[in-house]
Amino acid sequence: MSEAMFCDDLLTAAFPGILKHDPICAKSSHFTVPKDRLPAISHYIHTQPSLRGRLTLLWACDDRPVRDSYGLYYLFTLEASHHWVVLSTELAGHDRLFPSITPHIHAAQWYEREIRDMFGLIPQGHPDLRRLVRHEHWPKGTHPLQKDFSWNHVLERQQGEYRFHHIDGEGVFEVPVGPIHAGIIEAGHFRFSVAGEPIMQLELRHFWKHRGVEKLFEQLTLTDAVLLAERVSGDTTVGHSLAYCHAVETLLDLQVPRRAQYLRSLFLELERLANHLGDIGAMCNDTAYALAHAHCSRMKERIMQLNDRLVGSRFLRGAMQVGGVSWDIDRSQLKLLVEELDGIQRDFSEVGAIIFANASLTDRLESTGVLTERIAWDHAVTGVVGRASGMDQDVRRDRPFAAYDELPVNVALYRYGDVRARLRVRNDEIHEAIRLIREIHARIPDGPIASEPHSLPKPGAWTLAAVEGWRGEIVYMVMAGKDGRIHRCKVRDPSFVNWPAIQWAVLGNIIPDFPLINKSFNLSYAGNDL
Amino acid sequence: MFRIIKKSLRIGVVTGRYQKAEQPELPVTPEAQDKARPFKRSLAIREVDTGSCNACEMEMSALLNPVYDADRFGIHIAASPRHADALVVTGPVTVNLERALKDVHKQTPDPKIVIALGDCAINCGIFKGSYAVTGPVERHIPVDVRIPGCPPRPAEILAVLSELQGKNKTA
Repeated sequence: MSEAMFCDDLLTAAFPGILKHDPICAKSSHFTVPKDRLPAISHYIHTQPSLRGRLTLLWACDDRPVRDSYGLYYLFTLEASHHWVVLSTELAGHDRLFPSITPHIHAAQWYEREIRDMFGLIPQGHPDLRRLVRHEHWPKGTHPLQKDFSWNHVLERQQGEYRFHHIDGEGVFEVPVGPIHAGIIEAGHFRFSVAGEPIMQLELRHFWKHRGVEKLFEQLTLTDAVLLAERVSGDTTVGHSLAYCHAVETLLDLQVPRRAQYLRSLFLELERLANHLGDIGAMCNDTAYALAHAHCSRMKERIMQLNDRLVGSRFLRGAMQVGGVSWDIDRSQLKLLVEELDGIQRDFSEVGAIIFANASLTDRLESTGVLTERIAWDHAVTGVVGRASGMDQDVRRDRPFAAYDELPVNVALYRYGDVRARLRVRNDEIHEAIRLIREIHARIPDGPIASEPHSLPKPGAWTLAAVEGWRGEIVYMVMAGKDGRIHRCKVRDPSFVNWPAIQWAVLGNIIPDFPLINKSFNLSYAGNDL
Repeated sequence: MFRIIKKSLRIGVVTGRYQKAEQPELPVTPEAQDKARPFKRSLAIREVDTGSCNACEMEMSALLNPVYDADRFGIHIAASPRHADALVVTGPVTVNLERALKDVHKQTPDPKIVIALGDCAINCGIFKGSYAVTGPVERHIPVDVRIPGCPPRPAEILAVLSELQGKNKTA
């Protein structure tokens, strides 16, 4: 509490004009600020040594049906206390301009471009105003998240061309890759500028897979939308549905039974295990080390089959519901699970010893794709990628959710920021996940697994929730509408913040190393494109 | 070196250690089987993502792991549509990928088979009607085989592919 008071006092003392509101959830403060002071205040929160706020989310909201304005919201996470500070401002009447904070806070660049595409609000002073989500064939003036744009609108096609950044000079040539790739990969476009072998510039062109997820959320009720949250990014089924459920439960003021909290942590750790095992294998595969790949994908398959036996879905789909979980796991199942995981841990330790003893593999991984701590901070990078670059953050420890308040997590942290560090973080987290599941087995209380929602939230009430998925911090903002429907749901997969950082990690590396670097980030295209 | 051999000996053969799929929901039509006849026991697949949530991709990748090992049935993944006999399409076809899908289809040499993998590819699933979705796949290119599921299990995919190859018994 003292941390919160400290931060609030600091802000109100430095900027007397700002208005303080009731906090929207635990460990948070909310201020309304005048539009023109936004850059100064956000810059202060970002740079003030005792605050060091990391831009965690930036979203807009079309409030025009209720009052004649758009809302803009900026969420910062303070470095030391992990306290949330939300700044909000209004664009009233026909005002469509807002000051860009990108010149001060680099991490805002994609958020502001996204707001421009989805709402038609223009970030003044943004250095790059090309379209992001809407590709060039979308007609001018289509802004899907405006309330008067219908969710099933049929888009027309127009002519247009995306302007890539070009590097001119003798011997410089461009290598376009994608959107259809040469493996079983999702759709995205990469454009390399190279002179000889080293990459001079990489430009991403994403959002091919944009499915209109946020608009679809607005057509659903608060309790039904779990299904959609599970399908935002298939490999993070549990992470997304859990973050969504947390947000809705805060809105409904719903107490989740302890047993359900433990089961949620269990599902989340199982998802982490499966994906990290797969990633380590895939990274080895990209260095042509097929043996490690075979072993890791074999172990991943064991976890997927385990999931299938536990809840009837290899991706743990349908396990989460608002108010708790929909599947109980009894004592004997849990015991079998822990025994199987003991076996997998022994198995993985042996494979790990083989992997880390391989000198030629180490040679490929070390000093490849370095993401420095400074660039990681500037992009507000999160999750595995952040922890490999010295960003000491893990929502499970910093803002405990589910059962993590009783399950202390040892956070894996490395400083080199290369591919090997990202491999090591995953390796450590696999052991940690198995340890946590053992803890869950030892501590899980008996009791009900779900509580029924008994009330509807007030229209316009909103809240935030964050969950540490296997990839990193997943953030959901849910604003309630009329009759238990959703007015606005902002989804932020860790991929959205980590993708731009990859453009820096590849510089100076050779193109053949790009698949390896990309795999070490292993970001979701679906979760990014929404 | 000895460690690696010891490990491999201890693990042994894991191929086939999965629960066999039940009868597929949508059986492969005789027309599709006729179309697949020229490929005999070798099927080169190009996987095309048109906006899936990536769970279908993960299950396609799982087909290649040592447990399912689709290669033993002559099923392999081609790096380019020009090397492919069959396109496996996932996702509800987003507006941004519509043209890419048509291009890929055009680039794949005849004769070819199109397999719609997952509920999204078959009927757009939960994304049906969205402004950003123009699918399902059969609206844009002719579909021969449908594998429903969200996502379908690798064993189910394998069973359908085997049926397509004229091997009625699942592996």
